[in-house]
Amino acid sequence: MKVTADVKNGDVHDVELADDAVYAELLDALGFNPEAAVVLVDGRPVPEDARVDAEDVVVMRTLSGG
Amino acid sequence: MVEFTEQAYDDMLEHAHDGVPHEICGVLAGDRDTGVVEDVVRVENVSDTPRTNYMMEPEKQLEAVDEVEEERGLDVVGFYHSHPEGPEHPSETDEARATWPDHTYVIVSLGPEEPWVGAWTWTGHEFLKQDVDVGGRGEN
Repeated sequence: MKVTADVKNGDVHDVELADDAVYAELLDALGFNPEAAVVLVDGRPVPEDARVDAEDVVVMRTLSGG
Repeated sequence: MVEFTEQAYDDMLEHAHDGVPHEICGVLAGDRDTGVVEDVVRVENVSDTPRTNYMMEPEKQLEAVDEVEEERGLDVVGFYHSHPEGPEHPSETDEARATWPDHTYVIVSLGPEEPWVGAWTWTGHEFLKQDVDVGGRGEN
């Protein structure tokens, strides 16, 4: 399946994934560590182990520190 | 260099003071090409240890970024957070968790002296110090 990923403040990528892929695999395909970015669908974060079921997603680098 | 408008600078300091003893955080809105910060957007710190850490909830972070880009027509210049008791530089945790290359990370330090504002660019590998100016005054 093809997923269009809008990386916030980055580029928009079309990613080809297996039909049973999970969101962690999408992040991996985009070169993101799952600890450093999250996938949002309709503005809400989705678990990285959830199966990809959206054609358009937003990828957001997380912000935290000390 | 990062140049704050006086209003944006004052709003950020007010946010930092309001948050004591907790760290606060937010988004810097302006023009990435010139480094001018015209406005700041507060984002709640949802860290479980807010005295020494900050964390933006992704949903709220996205709302803030969309507010900057889509509603105000500005760029995300970077992000800010406070160190209520110092230090006046990025902590080891800040460096370990930095994720936005080529964006500005501002720290408002509220140690025993006057508030101190510092800015760094995250290269993807390290923080590079930037000069900070406020309304053309030449602050740091």
